[in-house]
Amino acid sequence: MLWNAPSVERLVEAFRRLPGIGKRSAERLALHVLSAPAEEAEAFSRAVVEARSRVSQCSVCLNLTEENPCAICSDARRDQRIICIVEHPSGAMAIERGGMYRGVYHVLHGVLNPLEGIGPEELRIDRLLKRLEGGAVDEVILATNATSEGETTSLYLSRQIAKFGIAVTRIAHGVPMGGGLEYADEATLAHAMQGRTRL
Amino acid sequence: MQLTQFSCRHFRCLPGLAFAPEPGINLLYGDNAQGKTSILEAILYCTTSRSHRTTTESDLRQQGEEGFRVALHAIAQGQPIQLEANWWHNQKRFKVNGIPQTRISDILGRIRVVFFAPEDVDLVKGSGSHRRRFLDMELAQLSPAYLLALQQYKKVLRQRNETVRDKRPDPILLDVFDEQLVQYGAILMAERRAFVTQLSAFAQNAYALVAGGELFSVHYLPSITPDQDFAETLKQNRERDIRRGQTLLGPHRDDLELTVDAKPARSFGSQGQQKTAALALKLAEVELIHHRYQEYPVLLLDEALAELDPHRARRLFDMLATQVQCLITTTERAPNPAMEEHPLTRFHVVRGHIEKT
Ligand SMILES: Nc1ncnc2c1ncn2[C@@H]1O[C@H](COP(=O)(O)OP(=O)(O)O)[C@@H](O)[C@H]1O
Ligand SMILES: [Mg+2]
Ligand SMILES: [Zn+2]
Repeated sequence: MLWNAPSVERLVEAFRRLPGIGKRSAERLALHVLSAPAEEAEAFSRAVVEARSRVSQCSVCLNLTEENPCAICSDARRDQRIICIVEHPSGAMAIERGGMYRGVYHVLHGVLNPLEGIGPEELRIDRLLKRLEGGAVDEVILATNATSEGETTSLYLSRQIAKFGIAVTRIAHGVPMGGGLEYADEATLAHAMQGRTRL
Repeated sequence: MQLTQFSCRHFRCLPGLAFAPEPGINLLYGDNAQGKTSILEAILYCTTSRSHRTTTESDLRQQGEEGFRVALHAIAQGQPIQLEANWWHNQKRFKVNGIPQTRISDILGRIRVVFFAPEDVDLVKGSGSHRRRFLDMELAQLSPAYLLALQQYKKVLRQRNETVRDKRPDPILLDVFDEQLVQYGAILMAERRAFVTQLSAFAQNAYALVAGGELFSVHYLPSITPDQDFAETLKQNRERDIRRGQTLLGPHRDDLELTVDAKPARSFGSQGQQKTAALALKLAEVELIHHRYQEYPVLLLDEALAELDPHRARRLFDMLATQVQCLITTTERAPNPAMEEHPLTRFHVVRGHIEKT
């Protein structure tokens, strides 16, 4: 920014820390907030503070929630015997939008990545394993991303879960619905080939 | 495959330059340090996103400039194609026919080139890492599945190496990394084996053509031999890997054995034999690409003719010039009489500029 205003610089810096926001966008957002009526800016900052203070991790599935346990964990119509494991809350949200899944979730908040110092302890995998003790779960669905770290995490979990004699499945990664093969990249196709199913 | 137009801006010592390569032999001649190698390097970069001289891409930008650009027009599989590489403040952007590409696999193999430079004698003289890089670069251009497996293998290997350096590595996590290395490693080993078998036959012919007489052969030397099981080997060596803090065995330690008349070229070859062997590998690559795609790549020869006598040079040109488009750099305007018998276009390179003569 051109003028010497430390408070504005701090605001730009704060926007820049958001995912997918570069320097230009951060400056644009900051200018927008500063040009809008004061009430709007206050409402914005209140929304941030309030959401952040009310939302925490569900003590059962670690998803983000205002109530504890979360709405999904405490929904009697959901099948508590099926747990779907996702990397981030966004993964659970995506599956919920699909509207078909009737089980519950477990959110890892990351993937195994020793190079970045993230091992089984950092992912609190013991929390997940505790949930599986006692025979209340029939199936675990692994829905980590199709990256090398996502695969590592899924393989690791499937080995840990094998001890409990629970069925473990991995979601298929493949060609998007409505998309022709020619639009899928080689990596996706190779993966879809590997994960093919018998008809 | 044929390049029809080259242009670049702020690449190495080339401020801004364009020319239209012709079919057959294109001779780029000029004194030292005028920019001949840089032109070939720009073509290599635009088609592979690699340079043979550096892994630091900011070296490629002309000193004092903020970025560089290379654009190529070519005919590939009978169709016109345009490739463009843009580098600006550490960000690179590639376009194919004007459309931005995000993955290296979307660029590789669009315009196939084979590059030979004096440094390539390291393929014969140097350590195994040079030969592995050769295998990886060539196979990545030939097979998207190989490139994918290679990228995954390298990632998992780094994770495993990090993990074996732990004080108490998680054995289940190591089991998982082993399983992933075995899965991707199997693809690398299978493709390398098939590639080297084919390459060896072509390399033998190419060597005989250029050098006469001697028998040149290329063997795949896998770190995990065919009678060993990779998974089993990883398990048996785990304690040692942990003590040494790295994964000691696997396709990341593969090598090639190059022999001339059954003697290792690395230790027994003369300078000339070593250079010929390196050239033969590259010429074999030209034939292998033709064999797989029914189309020759563009051959880029940087200062490759100096040591060839006229007879051998003639045989080389007889083999190449009718079918393969070549860009050849030399310091002399008429380096070799054998060249004149083939379609030949001359370009004079002076202080970063080029002129057809
Ligand atoms: N990034 C750069 N910016 C400007 N000049 C460069 C750069 N890199 C190398 N050069 C200069 O380019 C010249 C070498 O060009 P090169 O293409 O190797 O010449 P040739 O092959 O004709 O001998 C040298 O004078 C070198 O100093
Ligand atoms: Mg040169
Ligand atoms: Zn919950």
